[in-house]
Amino acid sequence: MTTPSEKGALIELLYQLADDDFILAYRGSEWLGLAPHIEEDVAFSSINQDMMGHANLYYRLLEQLGEGKADEIAHLRAPSKFRNAVLLEEVNGPGTYLEKPDYDWAFAVVRNYFYSVHKQIRLDSLRHSDFEPLAEAARKIMTEQYYHLMHWELWFKQLVTSTDEAKSRMNAAIEKVWRDFGGVLTLGPAYAEMVKANFIDDENVLKQRWMKRIEAVFNETGLPFSGEPRMERGNGRKGEHTPDLTQALATLSEVYATNPQTGW
Amino acid sequence: MSEAKNEFYNVYEVFSKKTDKSPFQHQFSLLAPNADMALIMAKENFFRREQVADIWVVKRENIRGLSQSEREMLKRLDKDYRETKGYGYLKKKWREYNQEQFTEQHILGGKGDAQ
Amino acid sequence: MAAMLDYDRLTEDEKLEHFMERINRGEKIEADDWMPDDYRISLIRLISMHGISEIMGALPEKEWVPKAPSLHRKLAIMAKVQDEMGHGQLLLRVAEDLMAPLGKNREDIMQDLFSGKLKFHNVFHMSAPTWGDAGMIAWLVDGAAIISQSMMLDSSYGPYARALKRICAEEVFHAQHGESIILAMAEGTPEQRDMLQDSLNRWWTSLIMFFGPKSAKETGNSNADKNIMYKIRAKTNEELRQEFFTKYIPRIWSLGLTIPDETIRFDEQTQMWIYKDVDWNEFKQIVTGNGPESHNRLDLRRRSYDNNAWVRDALAAKRAI
Repeated sequence: MTTPSEKGALIELLYQLADDDFILAYRGSEWLGLAPHIEEDVAFSSINQDMMGHANLYYRLLEQLGEGKADEIAHLRAPSKFRNAVLLEEVNGPGTYLEKPDYDWAFAVVRNYFYSVHKQIRLDSLRHSDFEPLAEAARKIMTEQYYHLMHWELWFKQLVTSTDEAKSRMNAAIEKVWRDFGGVLTLGPAYAEMVKANFIDDENVLKQRWMKRIEAVFNETGLPFSGEPRMERGNGRKGEHTPDLTQALATLSEVYATNPQTGW
Repeated sequence: MSEAKNEFYNVYEVFSKKTDKSPFQHQFSLLAPNADMALIMAKENFFRREQVADIWVVKRENIRGLSQSEREMLKRLDKDYRETKGYGYLKKKWREYNQEQFTEQHILGGKGDAQ
Repeated sequence: MAAMLDYDRLTEDEKLEHFMERINRGEKIEADDWMPDDYRISLIRLISMHGISEIMGALPEKEWVPKAPSLHRKLAIMAKVQDEMGHGQLLLRVAEDLMAPLGKNREDIMQDLFSGKLKFHNVFHMSAPTWGDAGMIAWLVDGAAIISQSMMLDSSYGPYARALKRICAEEVFHAQHGESIILAMAEGTPEQRDMLQDSLNRWWTSLIMFFGPKSAKETGNSNADKNIMYKIRAKTNEELRQEFFTKYIPRIWSLGLTIPDETIRFDEQTQMWIYKDVDWNEFKQIVTGNGPESHNRLDLRRRSYDNNAWVRDALAAKRAI
């Protein structure tokens, strides 16, 4: 390994990658049994499993770097230690996954689509990472990611060009996601170090690629493009989070935390 | 919502190839509004575990199948003149000439690669 | 036999005779074949109930998907619950094709579920309050389902048999997923063992009920008998229940768990398990929507169906003509 500050930056990056996938996969798994129709329920679940699997790969890299066991890393950290973007922890809508879930499919599609585009761009960069285990993980993940992007892009395009109701719901969801998507696009305080060590490309380059791709899709589907997305509710890369994350982590660790030492 | 009842998407039939070498095979059907949507649904609904090399989706109403009467008639066809079983007597015949009957392998030039 | 050459010219009686001959020869009936009305009705009743049960069956386990106690368990249970939805998809497609000539489709199945006309399995009306229940459902409820499904693998109705073949292949993974959870807990702390025993106590009655009452006498209908006549199914409810006992009771005992029925024993003379029968009125109450979780689960389903009506409308507008 390289210098301690490089290692620190690498660990920060891995937490971002892992936590983004972990938390969004969790939000996706709350949709199980509640999707708009049965075929989609099955397809959406595959995507969430894949994403949870990707998080698992990154947690294992962290385990190898001495951060503790993957299950402990995933289940026992305090919310302030999580590095996912705030947008990805946001609840799916009013209610919980067990009671009165008034979930918003437009929000699910927009959040997942925008995230998939970013993830694709990020993986494209990571597969050339100077940290070889990360480059290797990125190459593995990319094959599955291809279909996730295809899935969400199709949903996005079909809904924004359909009925008036669909258009207006999708527009509202785009506005909502835009307010915080900046948090997904940032690499946080250790970003200069990550780039210097060639772990990943400059965040501005990645952001421009994302905007270019999204702008093209907006033009194609007749949506107005409104410049850079914002980061209104805090920077998850700095450990800033909402109560939605606290709730999510309490659910995710409910059983494990009762006895982390035993086998389950 | 009210007239959605009769519009609940189309039925798509899903076909797939397991490997590059294998022929397409019917898998199952699903409901989807259009072919693009049918395709992404097909992948996750029917190939979560199985290996798959290619997938087709076909709108069911574009398939011309047989009616029951037509199917019943298929069963009556007996064309031994175009199958090897109609030529079973040849083996004995060749014996009379002290010759062995060619097997499929001989006929196909010794490379009887049965697939 | 010559009359068969033009099937459409047969009288209804001749068609029925021909149909029964085909079934008795072991031929498979396909969706657009002629079939007697009561065969169609029996199939629709059986398969739509089976399909909707798979879909409702995702809900009790859903709670445990995010709560599963390791990354590996989270992935496995997600895959398992997804499979249940996938089985629902296969079965509803089979039912929908049978209903099509009656002018019905998936929307009607959902509406029948919401109105209470279409019932789902008793087990999915029950609550699953601990991780032990997630294990118990995968091990014993799925174990019971495998027994009742595999006896229909040779069903006279081709599309159902094909769907079941796909389903049973995946059930093997489910059973092992369940065994793995159960064994980990059985070998774990005293708290984990208690949790497991609690779950078994909670699920035992439901498992007995799962196979249905012994005979027509208790239910007042004879669907099962008719289904055997039409070779849709091969065994009676009681035969299946006995098979379940034979398969699982020794395993339950081997783990040191106690079956909450002190009378249960194998009778060498009759080669049958003797057990305490359950209250079949309670069963009737449960499956007619008065179980502990019936209302909540239906509400979840109905709410998501209503909330997403705009999505289905939007897709219907993108329908290929």
